Amino acid sequence: MGLFSKESIAPGKRAEHEARAAAWEDALARQSLPPFVVDRLQNAAIGKQPWVATMSPAELLLAKSHGVRPIATVSGTCWFHYGWSWTEGHEEGWHHALNRIRREAVACGANAIVDVRMRTLRHSFGPSMDFTLIGTAIRVEGLKPSPDPIVATVPALEFVRLLEMGIVPVGIAVGACYNWLGGGGFGYGSGGSLTQWQTGAFAGNQPLTELGDFWEGIRREAHASLRANAATMGNGVLAHTHFGEILKQDRDKQPPAYLGRHIVVGTVVDTPRGADVPHEIEPTIDMRDGLSPLKRTGEVRHAVYDTDSSEQEGSI
Amino acid sequence: MAEQQIPEHALARLAGLRRDGHPGGIFTSDFSVNEFLLVRKAGFEPIGLCVGSCIYHLGFQFAAWSANQELDVLSTAMYEARALAMERMRLEAAQMGADGIVGVRLTVKRLEWDSKILEFVAIGTGVVHAKGHQGFKGPNGQPFTSALSGQDFWTLLAAGYRPLEMVMGSCVYHVARRGPLATLGSVGQNVELTNFSLALYEAREIAMERMQTEAAQAGAEGVVGADLHEGSHNWSPHVIEFFAIGTAVLPIEGHEADDIPDPKLVLSVNS
Repeated sequence: MGLFSKESIAPGKRAEHEARAAAWEDALARQSLPPFVVDRLQNAAIGKQPWVATMSPAELLLAKSHGVRPIATVSGTCWFHYGWSWTEGHEEGWHHALNRIRREAVACGANAIVDVRMRTLRHSFGPSMDFTLIGTAIRVEGLKPSPDPIVATVPALEFVRLLEMGIVPVGIAVGACYNWLGGGGFGYGSGGSLTQWQTGAFAGNQPLTELGDFWEGIRREAHASLRANAATMGNGVLAHTHFGEILKQDRDKQPPAYLGRHIVVGTVVDTPRGADVPHEIEPTIDMRDGLSPLKRTGEVRHAVYDTDSSEQEGSI
Repeated sequence: MAEQQIPEHALARLAGLRRDGHPGGIFTSDFSVNEFLLVRKAGFEPIGLCVGSCIYHLGFQFAAWSANQELDVLSTAMYEARALAMERMRLEAAQMGADGIVGVRLTVKRLEWDSKILEFVAIGTGVVHAKGHQGFKGPNGQPFTSALSGQDFWTLLAAGYRPLEMVMGSCVYHVARRGPLATLGSVGQNVELTNFSLALYEAREIAMERMQTEAAQAGAEGVVGADLHEGSHNWSPHVIEFFAIGTAVLPIEGHEADDIPDPKLVLSVNS
């Protein structure tokens, strides 16, 4: 039989396919994993199957020298439809994906998932999108499997370095908030009229106080919810990306309404305050002309909310 | 090299033995991992992200068709809006008890629905000295501000300087159009368009002067990382903004040039 057989799938295959689909459906409903996934992960854990890692050889070298063993590539996906709120839909979508990737890590007896990347396809079917996390489950030699593996968004190379310095990257925190200024049925009610007056045809130089305060409030709340989310895991959030926008909605015989939304995503760390950094730092100057591995800029870890490169925003 | 050990608390966390958070003190920061480590190495701890924003409505100013002139209404607007955003950021930092702000990024965003409204945002990470040293505060006991990354912050302190505050100068300038006779006169010739040259010189000079004056007022010895941006925020083609920005610095007392180790020269062979 050729690879691209004109015949439809053989009856045996079809039954197998349907069984797998049913197993997935059942597993998602019961918040567990299909038996064949559990088998694959457990076989990788005990060495019956080869391990799979997203690590580069350099990362493998450092991981091995520090007793870190890769087990398997694990993932969590949730295609989520945000019905009543874009903002909170995003927050919930990521939380589902996080739970699912953790489930796979538990199945293979991992202590941590490193090199976790946030991904999303650029397909959207109406107000929905996929929230995907992919990473490498690892085991630290001499430690028992963890019932609650940590989720580290840093590559294995940085993971080991961080551990040495007493910093444990433990998870991903998400904070989101949205609100209406005027209209929308919620929020600031009849607001928006001061903004309309401040942006009128004859208005001069001035800060838009009403809109500015409204916007600042949203951002603060998003950060507060990020901190609350992070507080359940660690004591700090690093490397966060944020995405926010204000949309204007014109209304009949009323001042326009404004919708503001803001979402912040970051890596949670757990570290004693003021911990020592044992490594010495040595200044070096690279003698290579042109592109050098020392001068190359780091790659972006996740490009889901890439506002920093949007065409509407300038650096200064 | 001595074998590096993974600390006890990290191992406990990896084994899943300890999963409690720290509801008391959470810091947030947009530092990368490397920045975080270097700020720590420099003796500081991040305590929170500081953000200041200002949504600003720009006034209107008429410029004569053939005049080289500063559009002071716009200059003032662009400066005031940034200063307000920076001031609000600094206020947030002071409220959380920060000694200073590292890695400040200043952005301007045009809102889609109105070309006269600009959103100015200043974002940075508030830091405190880990041992409570008070000598790093900026002017008037306020938190210092600096546009330096975590890496640059470590290097600046190693060089024996401390950041005071970000200084800036703005100048929005209208570059005169050339009259029809002048245009006709230069057809087929190689000539300098002196009025254009002059306009650019003058506008840049004004922006630089303003930044330097700010640095002098802050009592700085110098300005590092000074940069000059040219921008036209969707204005007509003859209107240009020159914006100068940098971090004013002061020497750390008792720091000698001999304290600085010579950088090692390396040649990476793995490219």
